[in-house]
Amino acid sequence: MNKLLSLFALLTLSVLGYLTYVSAESIINTEWHEPLPLSRENQHYRLVLISQDSDTPFWNSVAKGAVERAEQEGVMLEVLNNYGKNDEVFLSNLELGIHSRVDGIIVQGLDEEAFKELTKVKAAFYSIPIITIGEDVPMEESLRRTYVGSDHFLAGKLIAQQLIADMGETGEVAILLDENTHYYQTLRMEGIESILKLYPDITLIKVPTDPSKDKVMATTQNLLNQYPDIEGFIAVNADAASGMIQEISRRKQIAPLYNYSFDDHADIDSLMQQGKLDAIVAQDPEKMGNWGVGLLIEWLEGETVPLDFDGYFTPVRIRESQDGL
Amino acid sequence: MNTIQKKIFTLTSVIVVIMMGIWIALSLYIRQTHDQYNEILQRYLVLNEANEDSQTLITELNNYLYDPTPANMRKIEDSESAILSMESQIWELGHVENEFELVNYIHLMDSLMATVQRSISLADQEDSEAAFREFSEATRIANYISDTKTSLVETEIETYDVVYRGIIARSTEVNRFGIWLILLLTFTLMMFSYMLSRSITRPINQLTEAANTLSLGDFEKVVTVHSNDEFSFLAKTFNRMRLNINNLILEIQKQAELEKELQDNKILLHESQFRSLQSQINPHFLFNTLNTISKKAYLEGSQETSDMLVNVADLLRYNLKSLDRSVTLMEEVAILDRYMAIQKARYTERLIFLKDIDDTLLDSRIPALTLQPIIENAIIHSVETREEGGKVTFRIKNDRDFIRIEIEDDGPGIAQETSDRLLDGSYVSKEGHSTGIGFINVVKRMQLFYDSDDLIQIESKLGLGTVIRLFIPKQRGVSEHV
Repeated sequence: MNKLLSLFALLTLSVLGYLTYVSAESIINTEWHEPLPLSRENQHYRLVLISQDSDTPFWNSVAKGAVERAEQEGVMLEVLNNYGKNDEVFLSNLELGIHSRVDGIIVQGLDEEAFKELTKVKAAFYSIPIITIGEDVPMEESLRRTYVGSDHFLAGKLIAQQLIADMGETGEVAILLDENTHYYQTLRMEGIESILKLYPDITLIKVPTDPSKDKVMATTQNLLNQYPDIEGFIAVNADAASGMIQEISRRKQIAPLYNYSFDDHADIDSLMQQGKLDAIVAQDPEKMGNWGVGLLIEWLEGETVPLDFDGYFTPVRIRESQDGL
Repeated sequence: MNTIQKKIFTLTSVIVVIMMGIWIALSLYIRQTHDQYNEILQRYLVLNEANEDSQTLITELNNYLYDPTPANMRKIEDSESAILSMESQIWELGHVENEFELVNYIHLMDSLMATVQRSISLADQEDSEAAFREFSEATRIANYISDTKTSLVETEIETYDVVYRGIIARSTEVNRFGIWLILLLTFTLMMFSYMLSRSITRPINQLTEAANTLSLGDFEKVVTVHSNDEFSFLAKTFNRMRLNINNLILEIQKQAELEKELQDNKILLHESQFRSLQSQINPHFLFNTLNTISKKAYLEGSQETSDMLVNVADLLRYNLKSLDRSVTLMEEVAILDRYMAIQKARYTERLIFLKDIDDTLLDSRIPALTLQPIIENAIIHSVETREEGGKVTFRIKNDRDFIRIEIEDDGPGIAQETSDRLLDGSYVSKEGHSTGIGFINVVKRMQLFYDSDDLIQIESKLGLGTVIRLFIPKQRGVSEHV
């Protein structure tokens, strides 16, 4: 009995001892890793990528490519963006970047006075290099170092060629533009026109519109009323594609019409899958981000000075709808 | 040797040391946690203070632009130096996670100060429109500073999320540890207290049991106490006491046994002698016959023969009575006279018997047949063996508490060795006595009667004679030495 009791006591003691030991050990081993301290001397380059439309696959891909490259190069890259089109936030992001005296700015071009003012005056004041990405602003107006992105003139030509190939050499073609001029849209337009003017039987109808969906639908409605025989639609402004298609499909059969756009809007992908767009121009946004960061670093390191003012063009190609209509 | 005091003291010190250890560990832990909290709080405070300083600078600039006095200018300078000192503190907060925003924050403050300076110099050049343009830019920069601060704080929270959770997890862990530790300590202390109390009570129980056994009279069982403190000493002492008592008892028992044996022997002796006497004397018939013969002799005119026969008969009658009765000295002397008359008849002139008796002493009582065997001895040795005869003197004298009876003869005497052996009863006589009672019997009966060993003296000179002295106590039972 006595032996049993002492055995029990010993067992209890060892169990308690073990539990206490485990507990103590877990206290001692509760470690957290304080973030590594900052070295004031050995600073990394601080770069920012500023864009609008953070919700589009296009700009997500740009950011992805840029971040990948930045990690690869060991520089800090901050992506400042905003949802949808909001020039005010976009510009204040740019201003923040400039006043924060980052080492380089990669920015979506915005064909506006405020943008040009910021890049030409402020950035130049702090001598911060600016590279435009995806969309360009002429160098004379922005003092950008270079442009990385699609050759929009070429993209316009490609879409026009696709249109001719699909529709034939006669017909009415409506082109939806943003009512505010955007340099890249202008370039695309010019590209399209440079092809279509070779075909005198094709009538080109330029329709500037506000990019909001209601307005696009209203504009399309007017357009259809005015020109009931239009066969081809090109949404140069990809934002307008969705509204445009929706309005057309309310009025007519989509299938016999020829609808084209570009890939820089979120709705484009689903429209392509539904076969409502016949073809789009596919760009390579990931490459843009990647290349942009690379070029900026090259400039900062002094490897490539100066950068090519005309820009570095990423490939563009036509992507046709899966069902080939 | 572990004393009980030492044991208790050790237990208490161990408890105190453990408690102190826990207390110190807890204090250290709390202090460490405090430091952590302080450090974290400090980060937020510094970030916030820098922001506030920037806002103050804007306010001061505004004041200056409306009222360009040196006092306001000094305020701007104060704000700027405050911002500068904050900048170096903010640098300290930098880490890999917040590097971008932190550097932004600092650069924004630099930009702010540069813009403020530009605004002031424009104001000094009286270009107030440009100055206010710069002022509005400074305000925007201050807003960016605010925004950056917010995002910095967010980054901090994100970055230190793990740390905070670590602290929370750790405090939970500490609580759990505390519970286990308390359980462990309680259990351990209980066990040690139990062991300590047992080490005290168990020996007490063992001692109690041993004492019980002893009180029940079992002195053989060894007292065993398993202890290494005072109790083992107590147990040893107890054991020694037990052994001593045991030895004492054994000794007493042995003595009692011896005494009993002695007593038995005495009784045996007494009985055997009595029986032998009884068996030797069967004289009733003889006694009656002697009386008849005496009367016949008297009738036939032989006066002398008749008297002798009467004497013999009286002697026989006396002798037939029980041996352990006591008689007065007078009776004893009377029967001695009859005996001497018979011997006188036998030895005629060869026997000279002298008497010197103090008549006042004749009331004392003595064992029957005490004197006759001694007188007989004297006659045998001094008269019977010698042709010329001998002289026997009989005296009864007063000697303080005793009556001294002397029987003196002028015989050849006895050797000292023989007289010693006579007195201690180891001498075996071969001589035949009329009563069948020898000297040794007398000696033993005297001893038994008076319960004293030295009432008989033998004084003998070889060739000159022997004196035998009997000392009869006047009061029976008084056995003091002379």
